[in-house]
Amino acid sequence: MAAVRRWLRLPASPIEHSVEGRAFVFSGFAVAVLAIALYGQDYVVPVIGVIAAGIGHVVSYRERNHKRGFWRQVFLAALVFGALFYLIADSALALFGGILPQANFAILLVAITSFDLKTRRNCYSSLWISLAILYLAAVYAWDYAFGILLALWTLYLAGFWIASHLKRMEAGVRVPARALTLMLAAGILGGVGWFVAVPQPTAIPISPLVISLPNFSSFKGDLESPALPLVQLTGDPTGATTSVDLHFRGRLGDAPVMYVRTGAPAYWRGLVFDQYRDGVWTATNHDYREMQPFVPPRFLPPAPPHNLGTFVQTFRVLRPLPGVINAAYPIESLYAPVTALREDAYGTFHTPGPLRPGQTYSVVSYLPDLSPESLRADEGNLSLSDYEREYLDSQALSARGRRLAADITNEATNPFDSVMALTSYLQANYRYTLDLPRVPTGRDPVDWFLFDNKTGYCEQFATAETLMLRSLGIPARLATGYATGDYDPILNQAVVREHDAHAWVEVWFSGHGWVPVDPTPGVPPLAATRFPNHWAAGGLARLIPHLTIGAPAAALGSVGALALIPVAIAIALVVVLAYAWLRRRRWTRGSRPARGESELLRLYERLQRRLGRRRAPPETPLEYEHAMHSSPFMGRWPAQPGRGDAGVGQPGGEDLLEEVTRAVNEGVYAGRWPNPRRVRELAERIS
Amino acid sequence: MAALWLVLEWYGATSQVPWLFLLAAWILALLIFAGVYSWWNRAGLRLRLAVRGIRTAPGSPADDLPGHLLRNGPFPAPVFEGDGIELELGLNTTGGSRGPAWINGYVGGKKLTFGTGLVPAKGWTRLEVLRELHRGPIGATGWTIGSSDPLGFFQGRRSFPDAEVALVLPRFRSLAGRRQTHELEASVAAPRSGSGNELFGIREYRRGDSLRRIHWRSSARHGELVVREYEPPGLRMLGIFVDPSPPSADVADQIARIAASEAWDCISEGGRVVLWAPGREPSHSPRDLWSQLEWLARYPSPSGGFAASSPLRGEQGETVVITASANAELLDVAGRARRRKVWVVGDAAVESDSPIERVGTQWPL
Repeated sequence: MAAVRRWLRLPASPIEHSVEGRAFVFSGFAVAVLAIALYGQDYVVPVIGVIAAGIGHVVSYRERNHKRGFWRQVFLAALVFGALFYLIADSALALFGGILPQANFAILLVAITSFDLKTRRNCYSSLWISLAILYLAAVYAWDYAFGILLALWTLYLAGFWIASHLKRMEAGVRVPARALTLMLAAGILGGVGWFVAVPQPTAIPISPLVISLPNFSSFKGDLESPALPLVQLTGDPTGATTSVDLHFRGRLGDAPVMYVRTGAPAYWRGLVFDQYRDGVWTATNHDYREMQPFVPPRFLPPAPPHNLGTFVQTFRVLRPLPGVINAAYPIESLYAPVTALREDAYGTFHTPGPLRPGQTYSVVSYLPDLSPESLRADEGNLSLSDYEREYLDSQALSARGRRLAADITNEATNPFDSVMALTSYLQANYRYTLDLPRVPTGRDPVDWFLFDNKTGYCEQFATAETLMLRSLGIPARLATGYATGDYDPILNQAVVREHDAHAWVEVWFSGHGWVPVDPTPGVPPLAATRFPNHWAAGGLARLIPHLTIGAPAAALGSVGALALIPVAIAIALVVVLAYAWLRRRRWTRGSRPARGESELLRLYERLQRRLGRRRAPPETPLEYEHAMHSSPFMGRWPAQPGRGDAGVGQPGGEDLLEEVTRAVNEGVYAGRWPNPRRVRELAERIS
Repeated sequence: MAALWLVLEWYGATSQVPWLFLLAAWILALLIFAGVYSWWNRAGLRLRLAVRGIRTAPGSPADDLPGHLLRNGPFPAPVFEGDGIELELGLNTTGGSRGPAWINGYVGGKKLTFGTGLVPAKGWTRLEVLRELHRGPIGATGWTIGSSDPLGFFQGRRSFPDAEVALVLPRFRSLAGRRQTHELEASVAAPRSGSGNELFGIREYRRGDSLRRIHWRSSARHGELVVREYEPPGLRMLGIFVDPSPPSADVADQIARIAASEAWDCISEGGRVVLWAPGREPSHSPRDLWSQLEWLARYPSPSGGFAASSPLRGEQGETVVITASANAELLDVAGRARRRKVWVVGDAAVESDSPIERVGTQWPL
């Protein structure tokens, strides 16, 4: 037992004497709290926490050498339990407003433990809790400015490491500023480069992000003006429309509606309609069931067969929206910070009241396998008996509309080919426009769209295809919601605006369930739900259209962690090349000949060849010159035919050897190499 | 740090919060660049270890030595027992400021450790004063330079070979006043040093010297009066034979002090000295006081050489034996000398027909 206790006991941690290190710990906490205040719009507890932590740091530093008092420890422990009670009470019952209780708990925890920061391990604990606070803030951070706070926190962490390390070696906090700045700047820039360029791994989420409860809302029943673009005259108490009238069209602005942080681009589906009468879509089934804010997988339909996995979406509402959970379907699990959820008969989740700005919810969705091959070979046993009649109701479609549908699909041999034939036909022969003239009185909007106007927007296209499919005996319905939005590959999030409001078709395949199909021109019919789930493109790679990255990403995914090998090789290559370049630079800088040096040495070599004897290795130039004066070689210097000037072997040739020898000696021993022009003059005398 | 990176990557992968990937990337980048920094830092640091000055203790011979003798002495000044030295420890850099770095090692058996976060381009030094030094060499052993990146993750260490930073010489004083028996003085019956015919060298002017012997050119060069010295016809040669194995360090110190004092008395009067112990190589440069003191500073450690017998023939000169034991060889050699004296340190029973003087280990005598 004692051995186990010894094994479990943490090694002793030294007392942290560095006041600078403690200042960095506090600064890291302050930055994390600032992030919570800025992005979580939570102020009271953060302000109290920062003040208390500041005082706590001072107290801890002054008493760092004292023994911990028993009653003080008891008091601090009681405060921690109090903070825990706050967390539970605020999370479950919203006793204190329900605003970011997890973050507030962490802030209180840091503030309380700041009074007991004795050892280096204590300081690390404080920093890690700050990191957790920063993580909570990161969930709500939807702009690049958050990166500044993150960089600051990283620098404070580095500052703590530096101060603590220097204190440990009993040195003052003085560092080579230039080198350190260079290192930190390189680290920050290199990190950004890594973040942008390197694919980010995606693991299967365990559950939705159940981390915070901002803007806790309860059932109120009031009606707010929703920003839903498909503005209708009717609506439920949450502001959600109950019908879609093709005679009217709401204005579509550019204002952001919500941010979506997602693992895959998809359509964010909201309401679904099954009955079309006189140009108006309505939902016939008003059944619903109430559920808790967290909906685990066991309360939801089973996973679609052959699905590609799951991905998380976190939605942050920017403008008042109807109480409809827009999300990628089918849903695996869901968490929304409300008192209760309602799931309607079409699988859409509703909140008790409208969604307010700042409200956040998260959803885990399946990525169904919607490849053409899979859909063409669709064979399944999913039942649609209950509402089959509604989904096959095509009475609103005119007879010529039915004939058109039959003509378009006369060569199709299976439902999928029929769907694609209709979709392709509509995309190819009809024009998309938002400037739609008013539907003539007495005309059915679909018939008018198909045979007269031949222009429309998403609702016309989707309605036409839905009704034509139904006329062919293929169950279909109208789905509304939002397109993916402007996708930001760096932050892995989409900005959804009003004009991203969209309508599309959901077609029933017995082996797949409801499959979204989009007949609107310019949009891939089955694109939105295909995305590789493992080692999917991250950073800049997400800029590549997901339909084309599928193969390489799938290949990367299949090799798993081995995908890091090319990256490692690339880094190693860069390091080796940089090292080689530095070595070469140093070598060339050190061995670069002086001006005139190589010319003179070449001339000296040439002179020796002419004299017929090379200078021996142990012979100095001067000894060589003296030896050559008495050498018979000196006299064998051939005179150049046709030239009257003196060569080495001619009278005056000894002077030339003497001059060259002196120049060589001056260059080698004094570093005074002759001017190249002077060398050329000497060379002319040789020749 | 790597664990932190892994945790952030894992949370990023499971939560879809890309900021965690950014933070993880920064942590990883910091780790990589810290490694590069550490390598760069380690490559450009050099150890600096030198004696910067001497702090003489009261009664140190250094205060009484003549200037011309000190000028020929060890640099920057001789260190005697009981003196202190100012040791300059530090680091030099190549190519700009570096750090952090720390140095540690032993000097004279004392462990020294210093660290700094910044080594400026002109170098970083710390002054350490070692006081009340004992006779013998002061070694710098086990010195290492430690360096790291500023974050402290990549630490490296470079060792340096052991070296000798200073040699502490034995204390000495003139023992001439102690001579109660005058047998040694009889040996100075030879003409006064400098009264011969053959030029021997130059020495400082002493009261009583003839003005005609002043060597004006050398005086001008040295800044004090210097006289020509003529080799005496009967040159005094003093052999100082010491106990090869003193029983304790205190005894060895005392033997060295007495020997140094005898050597000083002889050399200052123009004589020559050879130090020897059985089994040891004799000292060199008989006229050079510093050579003798250096020999005594290392006594009784063997100096590497070996001489089986006395370097002086007994009949050649005088002999002083300093011993703490009845070493037969030592006494035998001394017995052959024309004139001899025996110093006995401690209570050893020594039988000799030479005059014996017994002393303890207290200094001065």
